[in-house]
Amino acid sequence: MLDALPAALGLLLTFQGMTVLVIGTALGIILGAMPGIGSTVAVALVLPFTLSMEQAPAILLLLAVYAGSVYGGSISAILINTPGTPAGAATVLDGTPMAQAGKAGQALGWATIASVAGGLFSAVLLLFAAPQLAAFALRFGPVETFALICLGMTCIVTVSKGSVPKGLVAGALGIFLSTVGGDPITGEVRFTFGHYQLIAGFNLLAVVIGVFAFSEILIRISDGASDGGTNVKFDGIVLPRLRQWKGRIKGLIKSIAIGSGVGVLPGTGSATAAFISYAEAKRSSPNSNNFGKGEPDGIIAAESANNAVTGGALVPTMALGIPGDVITAVMLATFTLHGITPGVRLMEDNPVLMSAIFLGFFIINILLLPLGLALSKVAAPILRIREPLLLSAIGVLCVLGVYYVRGNPFDLLIMFGAGVAGLFLRRAGYPMAPLIIGMVLGPAFELSLRQGLIITDGSFLAFFDGHPIAAVLLAVTAVGLLWPLVNTILTWKKDNART
Amino acid sequence: MKLKSACSAAIIALAGPAIADFPEKPVTLIAPFNAGGGTDLLLRGFQEPFAEALGGNAVVQNMAGGSGTVAASHLAGLDPDGYTLGYLSITVSTIQPQIKDVPYDRESWTPICSVAASPTMFFVNSDSEYNSLADVKADIEANPNALIFGSSGPGAITHLTMVAAMNGMGVMDQVKHLPHQGSGPAMQSMASGVIQFFGDTEVMMSRYDLKPLAVFADERIASLPDVPTATEAGIPAPLNELYLWGGLFAPAGLDPEVAETLAAACEVAVQSDAFQEFADNTGTVINYRGPSEFDAFFRQQWDANSTLIEASGL
Repeated sequence: MLDALPAALGLLLTFQGMTVLVIGTALGIILGAMPGIGSTVAVALVLPFTLSMEQAPAILLLLAVYAGSVYGGSISAILINTPGTPAGAATVLDGTPMAQAGKAGQALGWATIASVAGGLFSAVLLLFAAPQLAAFALRFGPVETFALICLGMTCIVTVSKGSVPKGLVAGALGIFLSTVGGDPITGEVRFTFGHYQLIAGFNLLAVVIGVFAFSEILIRISDGASDGGTNVKFDGIVLPRLRQWKGRIKGLIKSIAIGSGVGVLPGTGSATAAFISYAEAKRSSPNSNNFGKGEPDGIIAAESANNAVTGGALVPTMALGIPGDVITAVMLATFTLHGITPGVRLMEDNPVLMSAIFLGFFIINILLLPLGLALSKVAAPILRIREPLLLSAIGVLCVLGVYYVRGNPFDLLIMFGAGVAGLFLRRAGYPMAPLIIGMVLGPAFELSLRQGLIITDGSFLAFFDGHPIAAVLLAVTAVGLLWPLVNTILTWKKDNART
Repeated sequence: MKLKSACSAAIIALAGPAIADFPEKPVTLIAPFNAGGGTDLLLRGFQEPFAEALGGNAVVQNMAGGSGTVAASHLAGLDPDGYTLGYLSITVSTIQPQIKDVPYDRESWTPICSVAASPTMFFVNSDSEYNSLADVKADIEANPNALIFGSSGPGAITHLTMVAAMNGMGVMDQVKHLPHQGSGPAMQSMASGVIQFFGDTEVMMSRYDLKPLAVFADERIASLPDVPTATEAGIPAPLNELYLWGGLFAPAGLDPEVAETLAAACEVAVQSDAFQEFADNTGTVINYRGPSEFDAFFRQQWDANSTLIEASGL
């Protein structure tokens, strides 16, 4: 891999190579920052343009748009409380309160540095350790995946802002929604009540955009939209000073490790990483009590993890030919169109091209910083336009984004329905992040559990026997769930002893 | 592109069927899967030569979900005016409607033309000790209920290939089936040893470390002359032939003249240099059939696959 670097640099450091990187990253940030438009839509939008390009620029353009849109999503999540992706729902938890407290610039500053750090580190991993990490990913079978998903599920408790019981209800609702549609093992159709449109189930993006972006519009309308701009004051990104990082570096490193690790494993994804990382930060951060009220550590955890996933997800994609999500699947398909065979021999057969792609990914993540700073300056005036206009624009973008993903008009009904349901649920104090965790993890939970039971002939006990990784993950899950209980009992005893 | 096709669909609905000077407006080709997927890319490679041959315009519209059944259900409910066609595979057109409650069946279509058909193969890991189906059969019989075959999903062509093979060897009730979500994750299970057997088309061999033991075709394929056909490996008819095929379908009741016009354009398109190059790059085996031939083939496949579905226990 490293021998090919000089030739790869030659491929990158051309006018076309650099233009593609800069334009792609900028376009990604802009598209990602639009409410309702997430990475999937952004990548699908530029796909037709790559068909007439050379191999390297085509793949680099897709990568740049992908990485840019993941970062761009934090802008709309923080400034207008409308994440365009499930992962963005974790950024909202602390980003929005901070912005509403008048520190939007600072919130985006933390998000920017965390994103760049997460992305850069995952790029380094990809460049130097892709084959080794891919070998590790292979050891993650259904049983291990199931254990990881169990750990992810515990995040529902952590992100249940306000009321844990209400959070659990929202989480259960999310899991239920994810069971509608085809059964992953038998192929039977569940809970469709004869409506063929429901065979495909509830589209995750339609629900995310419904309960976050669309219900946000409804809530602001019912509050009486102001004639002026929004109440969020924003004049550009304010980068955190070095001394403000005191006590936060350890959390950043841990979040990046979680993001890269989860990203490498096929079948999980950025939302899982962002939420696990957020939950871990909330558990271990010295500022734990401030979480959910605008704590920088929360933004750092979510943003560094979800950007670290981008590089991590490329590991199984490039080294094994196993795409982890829709976006990496599109990249593999682009390879075939350009006459390159994706798969286990991709890196061996195309060392120069692959080195150029990995190096390009590194450059893309550096570009996020200047482009983010410049583009957010442009975004600032948008917040000052009259709220009814802004809300209408967001509504239009939500409709476009949701329709573009699957081209299915029924998804729009799902989005409107989720928006209205979101309005009432949020008004009643139900947090929406657990619902998204339930919907994201529900299908993986069911599939890996049932696959695991097929392998072990129906024995749960066999999940621990001969699966050390799974046993450790399940143990961590159990401790995580029981610890608050134990802690409460201990404190109660101590207090009793004193009186 | 999306909006344009949505608009044209709306206009078509208002204008009603027009046959005289077909085509008077753009023809929409529905890909029942996501943008960037295999079917989508095939249609995008097909779209230009097809439009040229038709002397009109053609747009690709993606409508994903439910293993392709959402788009097929939508298409089946449209007016058969020839302006909206779908690219349906063996799975979407003949298998899914037999295992799921969907609003379309064997009588819902006017088959226009088949475009591609690749025989499926029986794969094991390239470093595996199996060198023939006889080895596989012997090992399964020696270790009942210990070995596992994978699939990309219940009812997928990868599943039916294994059902055909295991039934043909008479060991179906001694192996386990592990469904995945797509061929990629199944290949992960293959590489890590969770599953031992997998059935798919030749294109998988270039991507993953696989060893083919049999090909489900009527004769050996040119690129792999040493791989026996399923018949030679002892799989009896009708389980010995299985092709991953796909083609253009219109809703039932399309005017035969319009169908012929579309099929003629389809034939020119699949023979075009642009599409041949696409097929080379992606390992697609081109296979053209006209309306009446494709209709007979489709019906024969429907019946053949219902036998397989019964055997699979779906």
